[in-house]
Amino acid sequence: MTPVLSRRQALQSSAIGFGWLALADMLARAETANPLAPKGPHFEPKAKRVIFLFMHGGPSQVDTFDYKPKLTADDGKPLPFPKPRVVSSATGNLLGSPWKFQQHGQSGAWVSELFPHVAKNVDDLCFVKSMHGSNSRHGGALLELHTGSDTFVRPSMGSWVNYGLGTENRDLPGFITICPSLSHGGVNNFSSAFLPAIYQGTPLGNSGVPSDRANVPFIAGTTSREQQRREIDLLGEMDRERLAQLGPDPALEGRIESFEMAFRMQSAAPAVHDLTKETKETKALYGLDDPATANFGRQCLLARRFAEAGVRFIQCSHSYKWDQHENLKADHTKNAKEVDLPIAGLLTDLKRRGLLKDTLVLWGGEFGRTPVAQGKNGRDHNPHGFTMFLAGGGIKPGISYGATDEYGYYSVADKVHFHDLHATMLHLLGLNHLKLTYRHAGRDFRLTDVHGEVVKGILA
Amino acid sequence: MPMLSRPVTGLLLLFACCLPLRAAAPDAATQFEKKIRPLLAEKCWGCHNETKQKGELRLDSLGAMLAGGESGPAVVPGKPEQSLLIAALKHTEQLKMPPKNKLPDADIAALTEWVKAGAVWPDAKPVKPTEMKPAAVRTFTAEEKTFWAFQPVREPRPPRVSSANPIDGYLREKREDAHLPAAPEADRRTLIRRLTFDLTGLPPTMAEVERFVNDHSPNAWDQLIDRLLASPAYGEKWGRRWLDVARYADSNGMDENLAHANAWRYRDYVIRAFNADKPYDQFVKEQIAGDMLSGGTDAERADGLTATGFLIIGPKMLAEDDPMKMRMDIIDEQLDTLGQAFLGLTLGCARCHDHKFDPITAQDYYSLAGIFYSTKTMQNYGVVARWHERPLGSPEAAAKLADFERRLKKATDAVRKPERELRDKVKARLETERKQAATYSAAALELARDPKQKLEQVAEAKKFLPSVLKKWQALAAKWKDQPPPPDELSRIAADPKGPFQVASTLDGEVDATLAGELKKAREDLTAVEKGKPAVDEVMAVEDDKSQNLKVHLRGNHLTLGQEAPRRFPTILAGEAQSPLSKGSGRLEFAEWVASANNPLTARVMANRVWLGHFGTGLVRSPDNFGKLGERPTHPELLDFLATEFVKSGWSVKHLHRLIVKSESFRMSTRYDPVAFQADPDNRLYWHFNRRRLNAEEQRDGMLAVAEMLDRKLGGSLMTVPNRQYVRSTSSKSQEDYNQPRRSVYLPIVRSAVYDVLQANDFPDPSTPAGLRPTTTVPSQALFLLNSKLADQTSEAFAKSLLSLKTTDIGRIEEAYRRSLSRSATPAEVSRAAKYLKQSSGTGEAKAWQGFCRVLLSSAEFAFVE
Repeated sequence: MTPVLSRRQALQSSAIGFGWLALADMLARAETANPLAPKGPHFEPKAKRVIFLFMHGGPSQVDTFDYKPKLTADDGKPLPFPKPRVVSSATGNLLGSPWKFQQHGQSGAWVSELFPHVAKNVDDLCFVKSMHGSNSRHGGALLELHTGSDTFVRPSMGSWVNYGLGTENRDLPGFITICPSLSHGGVNNFSSAFLPAIYQGTPLGNSGVPSDRANVPFIAGTTSREQQRREIDLLGEMDRERLAQLGPDPALEGRIESFEMAFRMQSAAPAVHDLTKETKETKALYGLDDPATANFGRQCLLARRFAEAGVRFIQCSHSYKWDQHENLKADHTKNAKEVDLPIAGLLTDLKRRGLLKDTLVLWGGEFGRTPVAQGKNGRDHNPHGFTMFLAGGGIKPGISYGATDEYGYYSVADKVHFHDLHATMLHLLGLNHLKLTYRHAGRDFRLTDVHGEVVKGILA
Repeated sequence: MPMLSRPVTGLLLLFACCLPLRAAAPDAATQFEKKIRPLLAEKCWGCHNETKQKGELRLDSLGAMLAGGESGPAVVPGKPEQSLLIAALKHTEQLKMPPKNKLPDADIAALTEWVKAGAVWPDAKPVKPTEMKPAAVRTFTAEEKTFWAFQPVREPRPPRVSSANPIDGYLREKREDAHLPAAPEADRRTLIRRLTFDLTGLPPTMAEVERFVNDHSPNAWDQLIDRLLASPAYGEKWGRRWLDVARYADSNGMDENLAHANAWRYRDYVIRAFNADKPYDQFVKEQIAGDMLSGGTDAERADGLTATGFLIIGPKMLAEDDPMKMRMDIIDEQLDTLGQAFLGLTLGCARCHDHKFDPITAQDYYSLAGIFYSTKTMQNYGVVARWHERPLGSPEAAAKLADFERRLKKATDAVRKPERELRDKVKARLETERKQAATYSAAALELARDPKQKLEQVAEAKKFLPSVLKKWQALAAKWKDQPPPPDELSRIAADPKGPFQVASTLDGEVDATLAGELKKAREDLTAVEKGKPAVDEVMAVEDDKSQNLKVHLRGNHLTLGQEAPRRFPTILAGEAQSPLSKGSGRLEFAEWVASANNPLTARVMANRVWLGHFGTGLVRSPDNFGKLGERPTHPELLDFLATEFVKSGWSVKHLHRLIVKSESFRMSTRYDPVAFQADPDNRLYWHFNRRRLNAEEQRDGMLAVAEMLDRKLGGSLMTVPNRQYVRSTSSKSQEDYNQPRRSVYLPIVRSAVYDVLQANDFPDPSTPAGLRPTTTVPSQALFLLNSKLADQTSEAFAKSLLSLKTTDIGRIEEAYRRSLSRSATPAEVSRAAKYLKQSSGTGEAKAWQGFCRVLLSSAEFAFVE
């Protein structure tokens, strides 16, 4: 990519006549005023970036990674302890998992037959089996997972990361979310809320757009590149003349630069998007050659390319598919098939390129599902105990952390709340969640609000 | 904050004193020592002991347990179901202990049993009252009591330097103290562009500029001000500023993004209010309690109702399984917004505990929350909940609607009754039939074998349900002459989607009379529905049953503290207040907020108006006048403006006039290296702040220059019907933004704000935003380079230029006049001509479109000097 002309260089080259003292001061301010300039973390980071693989709808822990033989044994019997006070719908008796589990890898992690490819990577993974949240509805749970609050509009975790660390690539946004859901909180799940707008996530398409058509807003237009260059040249001349007349002003000067960056971004972003240079083998690794896996596979491959290009926080969303109140068997099978190979492909590819060691990969939904049946072949929402897995950047590989009860309903041991997950994620990025604050409406706000503890047990 | 209400504490004390008198049964004592004490020691005392008390709770003596902590007593002896300790151990409520690891069920059972048996603690000494934590009462410090923003607004001393307009005097005296030079007056072309954008959000036309530049009469400026303030565009610009503060949106956002298809009435009300220069105190009262104001015309009463939309248009979690949490969250959002909007106070911070920085107690918070708890904002708190709407217009129209709703309810009930009876009958009958699965299958096979047999006859003969038999018949077609094995047969019989499923076709077969009744009732309902009177509805509140709230400890509605009678915040209204008594107390509250004696209301609004003209407020945190907010740079000037504001009858237009007639407003943006060194943030107003057009001004300005702008006033552009999802999970926003109306009228869909507005720093419409950020990021450039809007406006602009009967030079000059309201210099003309020549390969239309795009993207167009 084109080397970036810094503000300092740009201003110097524009050679405006004014006192050097003032210039130096102004430049210092302009530099610190660039909110996306890479920033030092609070301490040595283990991860430089995050890839979040979001499974919208709530995959069932007891059918995927949280093996509960007693649930199978007691299939059809009533749950021997009380259900939560607040539930989203009525449920019946215990429902054994229709899938078989096996142990895999050196670590011996139990994985159901739904995830045969991920199963091959278990020695790189850390399963957190004691996740819990506070909200039993999709909207609230999505917002809590993404922003830490299921009550109010708060900045999303990607925007906090972007705010805390800045971006390493000035031609690309620091926080990208591929095909995000527009429901259940929609843009609030990647917005910056009261943080400056510049930290918000840049959505590529949305959940209704296939990933091969997902792109940055306004990235392409109808004007040819040559003609656009001429227009930007004319504009630059006019604006620089204006700047010379009106005296130094970081806002004016930043505007001139923003058009140049926009011009570069128009090639940089599509260049990251252009998968033609990827080998056939790589494409197959992500499942791009199979219609069932191609859509999510492309998201995962894009995530790797954005990670390489220096984007801090990348989210892939497997759209609202995992909500199996009924038809659990068929639909969970289909969903898992769509993501299993691409996820394994991403993990393998990151590892062989040496990217996994400083990339934190996070997999999970907004909640899990109940071990008790809804109808005959369904499970209800369950924020009280579910599984997420992490890999890479500073995470202890090949372990399981925490546990649910014997049926997989409640998280009971070494419980990890979303707030704890957020605190841990920031910790791995070298940020202290207690210190990463922003003053708004009379308070210093944090991603973790007044909660959150770093989960030391999963750190490498 | 008192953590326990006093009477309760007293009772517990009594109870606690009596406890040791009941001699501990030896068994109980043994059990305690063997099981309970070790358990507490191992699992609880780490955080709740003599030296460390998380949540201000100790668990190392019975007395301490009874005294409890922040969330109230931990144990009620004999009543495990009322004991917070047991609830927390079970991990089913918000408070979960131990936080990370739930105790084994056996341990929880043992502790439950122990509490049930009276919480016997063998060596417990009588608990002395001194061991109980005294209820902490928040007292205000002298610093808090004398905090500037809580002091009454007083007519300030006059400026120390003389000036025709005191604004200039107050600014100059501080500037002179700092020995800073002031920028000279801006030129007249700059002034009219500045004032026109400031007051109307639109660029001046070339003719308007020329007229003003050439008008040398002494009152030319005053006349310009009057003309612009009288333009309906004024309300569109300044109404929008208020809508930022009121977090206005045409959809709910959050989890369930439903269309607020009636919100636009509130938006138009705001625009009308600014245009009419409605006294601001009235404007405030209407938005808090417009529904309770008496008298006035029908239109005024309608305005009052509409204004309360302010309380309803906030984002709400409409799918929340816990209705009490939903209700309290909605109230919190209301308090947070109105606190910031009217008072510059962050009231929301006092929900969980006393405000950490400002002297607002949790007691104050719940006193105010009680007012809104006694106000009907929602029709219900189910999933998905419905916000309240009320009919607009004359009492007759409202009565008609009410009558309709009564008839609708009656007709709906008339359907429900036979529906329920019939469904039960059908279900019962199906249960009987299910037992005959084997005979059904045999009959079905018979039918398949012998096509001459009539299904109806068979059904009648065997007393079968015909439509069930029909389903069996369909199944039998695949059986190849063999009935299925018994296992399969019972599976089919049990299948909820099998032949014995409930279906409407069964109604008549099971009970023809009842089915007839139902059909009739349904027809009646349809007829009633069709007769809905055409009455406009509006998002509005009304008084509900009046009730006080108890303080929610840690903001949790499951742990309640002392009752908080409805009243105003103590720091502002004093200790000696009688509780509000008229209904919810909302009208009294509105009157208190809108009173000239309220130290905050006039100051906060005067600061907002100032901010709208100068780009920075005298208090730079316009929504926070509290301790963490900024202090006024010019306190006397702020009080001068607030005093003038109230004296003028709360006239916002009076404030505008006062401000824009000052010399300070007419200063140029000239850069001065010395002044910049001394005061880089321009806190002393040594020059005028350059500002970029906001999202609406950029878009409306482009449309205006392209002569595309449709100046029609008011009305709704929302296409999604009320309470429907603005977009489903996968589809794009259905709203059409490709309409050349002023931006203020475009739908504001939360979670999916129009991308053109979004790229240009439109604030998140979910929270109050008195000050929009200005970022300089590539998205604005990409918008100007590639958006449809930029394409359309530059194309229309170019077409119009090309249609002129003149030379290219003439067209270039005209383009400058239209877009930048000035003539082009010869150098600019030749530069543009050079560009056009270089671009000739792309075709005349594209080349000119490119030139027009450049003008509309230029810094000169985008910034107001």
